[in-house]
Amino acid sequence: MDKKIKSGKEVIDEFFSEIYNVENIDEKTVESLISLYSEGKFTDKNIQNKLDELLQEELTPKQKKDE
Amino acid sequence: MNKINSINIVGLRGIKENLSLNLNQKSILFYGDNGSGKSSITDAFEWFYYDRVGHLVSEEIGATKGKGALRNLFLQESDDAFIKLEFNKPELASQKTINDALKISQTNNSNEFKEFIEKSQTENLILRYTFLQKFIIASKKEKLDELQKIIGFNEVGNIRDILRKNAGRIARNIKSNNYENKKSVQQSTLIENFGHNITSPEQFYEAANNLIKPLKLKIEIKNYKNINEVLKEIESKEDIETVKKINLFNKISENFSEVVGNIDKINSEYSSYYKAAEELRKEKEKIEKLQLLNLLIEGQKLLKSEIIKEDVCPLCQQDKNKKELIIELNARIEKLEELRKEKENVEQKSKDLQQIVQVNLNSLNSLESEKLLNTKDFELEYKQIKKLIASLEKYISELKKNFLAEIEIENSSVLAINKSDYEIIANSSKNKSKELIEAQKKNPKLQIHTKLSLAKQAYGQYNRIVKEEGFLRKQQHTFEALFADFIKRQEEALNVFLEMFSEEINDYYTTMNPNERIENIRLVPLKDTNDDLVGITIEYDFYNETKSPPIAYLSESHINCLGLSFYLASVKAFNKENRFFILDDIISSFDRPHRTRFARLLTSKFNEYQILLFTHEKEFYELISSEVKSKGWLLQDLHWNNANGTVLKTQLVDYKSQIEEKFKNRDTNDLGNLIRKYLERQLKIIANEIEAKVSFRFNEINEKRMAPELLDSVQGKLKASGELKTLADIPKIQAMPMLLGNTTSHDNQFQESIEDLKVMWEDVKKLIHCFFCNDCNKFVSVKYYDTVEKKIRCGCGKLKYDWKT
Repeated sequence: MDKKIKSGKEVIDEFFSEIYNVENIDEKTVESLISLYSEGKFTDKNIQNKLDELLQEELTPKQKKDE
Repeated sequence: MNKINSINIVGLRGIKENLSLNLNQKSILFYGDNGSGKSSITDAFEWFYYDRVGHLVSEEIGATKGKGALRNLFLQESDDAFIKLEFNKPELASQKTINDALKISQTNNSNEFKEFIEKSQTENLILRYTFLQKFIIASKKEKLDELQKIIGFNEVGNIRDILRKNAGRIARNIKSNNYENKKSVQQSTLIENFGHNITSPEQFYEAANNLIKPLKLKIEIKNYKNINEVLKEIESKEDIETVKKINLFNKISENFSEVVGNIDKINSEYSSYYKAAEELRKEKEKIEKLQLLNLLIEGQKLLKSEIIKEDVCPLCQQDKNKKELIIELNARIEKLEELRKEKENVEQKSKDLQQIVQVNLNSLNSLESEKLLNTKDFELEYKQIKKLIASLEKYISELKKNFLAEIEIENSSVLAINKSDYEIIANSSKNKSKELIEAQKKNPKLQIHTKLSLAKQAYGQYNRIVKEEGFLRKQQHTFEALFADFIKRQEEALNVFLEMFSEEINDYYTTMNPNERIENIRLVPLKDTNDDLVGITIEYDFYNETKSPPIAYLSESHINCLGLSFYLASVKAFNKENRFFILDDIISSFDRPHRTRFARLLTSKFNEYQILLFTHEKEFYELISSEVKSKGWLLQDLHWNNANGTVLKTQLVDYKSQIEEKFKNRDTNDLGNLIRKYLERQLKIIANEIEAKVSFRFNEINEKRMAPELLDSVQGKLKASGELKTLADIPKIQAMPMLLGNTTSHDNQFQESIEDLKVMWEDVKKLIHCFFCNDCNKFVSVKYYDTVEKKIRCGCGKLKYDWKT
């Protein structure tokens, strides 16, 4: 019976390896998530910081250009 | 996969002197009275693999993970205590030692060994009686946690929670920012200054060019740089104070408009929060019970940790069945958990609303810091800003209160902010800004500069808001999509696991309980109203009707069978490094039929595993020793003495081996008795296989049938086969002197010579060989009746006799 059963790690690894197949996702966000996971830093706090960082990156350069 | 070749234990728990066993990868059945040191061997294994001894941790020295209690009390300071294991893979052999200072060392420090131990720690190598029912009586959430733990799904749960949390957090962030309101405020400034709304840069440049047309400048606005150039060209330093005032009135108008746009939401959400909080506050009894939750959880932990060994309530010290108490606690905790969820929902409402209020407060606080506000021109506005800040701060202060405490939270009608007060300020500030611009009719440059500057600022803000909202929505959709995908994967994996795991459990359970109406045992996932997986329950069909939970319907023995089935299924599913497992005294509450079937289950379905089976029950040991020995198991007796602690005793082998040993040593002492016992045991099997009838007796008494009765019954049944009747020659056996007694005369007085006993033994063996086939190891049985040939036979057909039905 053990052939078909996936361990938790297998489920997670498969999820991250096929993550780009998920529709309607922001690639930059996903890239950051993959990088945090591979560095063993996939925590709520780290993700929140990374998302804030991405938002600032998105707004700041364009804002300069606009002005 | 690894099996054990040899075990050496010195100075651990009850074992003082060297306890050395050569298993050569064979299974072994240990027999020993309580206190003989069976569990010392299990403890040593647990420490070798998991670096802890679970049942010692809470009971004794928590900080040392039970290591303080590991060393035998009578060891000299200079003596090391150790367990040495050798496996079929020689490179994994290691000795783990603990010295008097509790310093631990391993002789094998290879990476391969470290990896082996690390992987082994996720396996289920040991089952003790105390943990047999753990899974069955656990709450639905604990069942889910336990299963997730053994399939390594804890991390899956963590990642799922992180994805969900972030999707929720971003959604709340979007909600609290009320971007639609913000965009509409900026568009209104654009309409004010350009006469219409603006949705693209082209529209903006066109409107800006129209605005500056009367000035007949040489610059045409084609980009933002041009706007800055125009503003610079037409700016006048003398008008700077007026411009500041216009900007501030405009800012006040914008900020108030934004806040006004959120006031209805703040008022209504506080009202909804207040109602929900009041509902909970009304249920005083419920709330008081909620305060018990932590105590109940602690009590539950305490009972499960085995600190409380007796059937006594740890709080009131009244007699109480421990298992029933745990089940009762589970039910109460599950009910209170629902209440806790209700409380958490109200707390979440409070947090969400605080976030919305805080966003508005931040913008007003920034406005309040404008220096110009302290001037007479802005007296009214300043007052209203302060008033609005105070109102919002009051909301925050009420929302931060513990709504379940004695002090009541403020009613929503008292806190409600009157929107129209601030709409007036938003409008009047806008009008004041307009009036100031209009007053500069003679100065078209200033008018146009102000309008262009305000429009530029508003459009910049509008774009920023659109980008921020767009980006956050993109992130929200990303997390929602990832969460949905992840949940799908998790559920698929869990369902495959549950389905296959259930099949195994069902198989083992029904093997131990054949011909009972309990079928289709399965583990079923439970979801809450949000479709989130919250637990696992066990269901089964009883007379085609679904029943759950097992504890409500099954007997102690059946529940133990279920617990054992669960353990064995987990061994097959998840033990990848080790091909052995330890069953420490787990059959105590099994009744006799379950014990026999349990032994057969182990020898038939787990014959590829090495099993270390411990029992303190002599009857069980005797019952199954012949069976397991025929499958190549070793048998070992343990006992304890003051001088050496646990020691191996001369093996208490099965009757046949004992008889043969006695013949070898020409020892007639008790030999006749042993032959009689052996004969009785075999006759019981023969009577069962050929369906020889004996008179009805109750369970235990039924087992104590003696040879003469069994011989009569078998002889009676052999009327069906003249051939077998002649061959077996039962009357010859019936005439043996050792059968002329009763159950209490095991030490009867007749004193045969060794030669007499040899003859008797040969006759007994001859009788048995008429019924037992050495090739297939099976008895002749009516279940193998051949309806064509009208014969009964053994499993392989080598023994075959005519049989009249």
